Amino acid sequence: MRHLISAGFGIIGAVVLAGIAINRGEPVNSMWLVVASVCIYIFAYRVYASWIAVTVMALDDNRATPAERLRNGHDYEPTNKWIVFGHHFAAIAGPGPLVGPTLAAQFGYLPGTLWIIIGAVLGGCVQDFVILFCSIRRDGKSLGQMAREEIGRVGGFTALVTVLLIMIILLAVVALVVVNALKGSPWGTFTIAATMPIAVFMGLYLRYFRPGKVLEISVIGFGLVIGSIFAGEWVAQSAVWAPWFTLSGVTLALCVIVYGFAASALPVWLLLAPRDYLSTFVKLGVVIMLGIGILFVQPQLQMPALTRFIDGTGPVFAGNVFPFCFITIACGAISGFHSLISSGTTPKMIARESHALPVGYGSMLLESFVAIMAIISACVLDPGVYFAVNSPAGVVGATAEAAVQTISAWGFPVTAAQMAALAKSVGEETLFYRTGGAPSLALGMAHIFSKSGGGERLLAFWYHFAIMFEALFILTIIDAGTRVGRFMLQDLMGHFYKPLGRTSWMPGVVGSSAAVVLAWGFFLYQGVIDPLGGINSLWPLFGIANQLLAIIALCLCTTVLVKMNGAKYIWIPLLPMAWLVTVTFTSALMKIFSAQPRIGFISAAEGLEKLAVQTDATRTLIFNNYLDAFLCGLFLVLVSTILIDSVRQWIGLLNGSRQPRSTETPFVQSTLTPEEI
Amino acid sequence: MKTLRLFTSVVLAILRELADQNAYDRHLKIHACPNSPEEYRRFQSVHFKAKYQRAKCC
Repeated sequence: MRHLISAGFGIIGAVVLAGIAINRGEPVNSMWLVVASVCIYIFAYRVYASWIAVTVMALDDNRATPAERLRNGHDYEPTNKWIVFGHHFAAIAGPGPLVGPTLAAQFGYLPGTLWIIIGAVLGGCVQDFVILFCSIRRDGKSLGQMAREEIGRVGGFTALVTVLLIMIILLAVVALVVVNALKGSPWGTFTIAATMPIAVFMGLYLRYFRPGKVLEISVIGFGLVIGSIFAGEWVAQSAVWAPWFTLSGVTLALCVIVYGFAASALPVWLLLAPRDYLSTFVKLGVVIMLGIGILFVQPQLQMPALTRFIDGTGPVFAGNVFPFCFITIACGAISGFHSLISSGTTPKMIARESHALPVGYGSMLLESFVAIMAIISACVLDPGVYFAVNSPAGVVGATAEAAVQTISAWGFPVTAAQMAALAKSVGEETLFYRTGGAPSLALGMAHIFSKSGGGERLLAFWYHFAIMFEALFILTIIDAGTRVGRFMLQDLMGHFYKPLGRTSWMPGVVGSSAAVVLAWGFFLYQGVIDPLGGINSLWPLFGIANQLLAIIALCLCTTVLVKMNGAKYIWIPLLPMAWLVTVTFTSALMKIFSAQPRIGFISAAEGLEKLAVQTDATRTLIFNNYLDAFLCGLFLVLVSTILIDSVRQWIGLLNGSRQPRSTETPFVQSTLTPEEI
Repeated sequence: MKTLRLFTSVVLAILRELADQNAYDRHLKIHACPNSPEEYRRFQSVHFKAKYQRAKCC
């Protein structure tokens, strides 16, 4: 009976997905996407994931997990599976599954939707699940430690350097999303600026007045943030205050850089931790609200299934649907970064091995559904509006009239009056050239929320609520990421000069914080001054880096499965890995060598070199393009090193020239009682 | 009604975990001491040091 129900979900999901993919020329309701994705997720979880759990990994609940064996009340603690599920999902859900699908909506809703569903089921969920399993069987070790032990020293070191580089690009690109969302917006800038004193107040409240009452102060903090959204409207309309909060992209970038440095060097309890609590709760709340909103409103998709931009001429970012759709959407389908979480805190909390299935595979399915909601939010917008918001001036023209003319000529009619009315209704001066995805996502979400309750008069509130939500947790990633980058750098530098490795040595702390901030700040500044909007160069770079990290994680999964079962189940991680190798290597080579200046970094630099007049800005752009090309090449070299090392190892293991050496911890009988978890 | 109560308790437990309140309770239990500003500061210094050395996801 169980199999029949699972098969039923699979058939319904496949039929609905095929219907969406094949039928053209009639309006599609967003519920089709919801039904297709949910049915396929249920089928994949009940059939594919369960089969991997039972047959391939042989999860054993009699085997004591690290949480039980190494229990210390701090990081190692057996925890209820639904609590671990919530914890793990909150840790993996970042801005990626929201921004990536929004940007990829330029190809139409179909490519992104197919990639999110299929990529998650066969790739992302498998990666998260298997890495979590590997870490549970190895005392909760990190990806870097496992790569070093399973693949070799080269693999471990390469993973560390790759993670640091990815972190720098990630911080730059998410900072750029915030800067583009806030530039010229006094309402949004005030709201986000207000979250900083609110976070400090929360930190002081917890430290001195009501120690440990995090939920209590988070409710108060949330109330204050909502108050700041209303106050933001007043600020935007004030002749005195509005100019103070109407900032250019460059000024905002400098503010974010200074903020990143301060947050990295200040005590964690004062700013970072309270902000982290607030952003986690707001994030989860908004995701649930968006899900309910979509179910309630059931909006029609306005974007066609496929747009003309699958040919690579898209204004949001340049590049064909293959391979660029698959690196633009990372976190909603497969994200290498998740492997760091699956081998971080989570394996130390798992009480029973079987819990790895809902936590590892299930959480990623939910993340994938968040990405589906993001693509729905982007595609319910009028396509003309979507392209007007997301296209940089360098592509569509520097005036509103030029922009609407260009976009309408593409077959997506939009007028300057329509854009002006929309901007007015959300309390903004203009919505043109708001690249980065966040403003168009906020518009889509505001559209859904206002239809759920409050109507058009609350559109401005919901728009700024959505901007606040996105900026709040992006800034949390910036401050936490800068701090983590600082620790990684200190770890590396400590090999050369011992005091630099000490996290309590102030010159080391300040120096390494400054180095990390300057590194991502450089790429952020590069994105802000880029006439093509910055996202065109930085988001693909981030996507490539993130997917290359997924290749490293899948190399590890393959090595472990080969050691466990020989070649029998090697296809499980090899299938998504082969696809990712194809996609990332193709896109990386295109980003370096393509003859089209909007795609290839080198041709863009060469095109600029040919200009008759060379200003400082032109020379900076030329340097930046060469640097991006170098970085892209470096990523390829790093990952090729691990890939070659891994393939040599697999061949050796399979032909018997190399003995499989297990690094699993020996079996210990579990004595946990059901009451304990 | 029982299911609703169970669901609410799980949601609250997740929120407490995300708020580090469960971790703080365990800290108090292990060290056998009552809640106080000094103890919470001690907990923060140990817990945050480990928590914010790990990467946050994109």
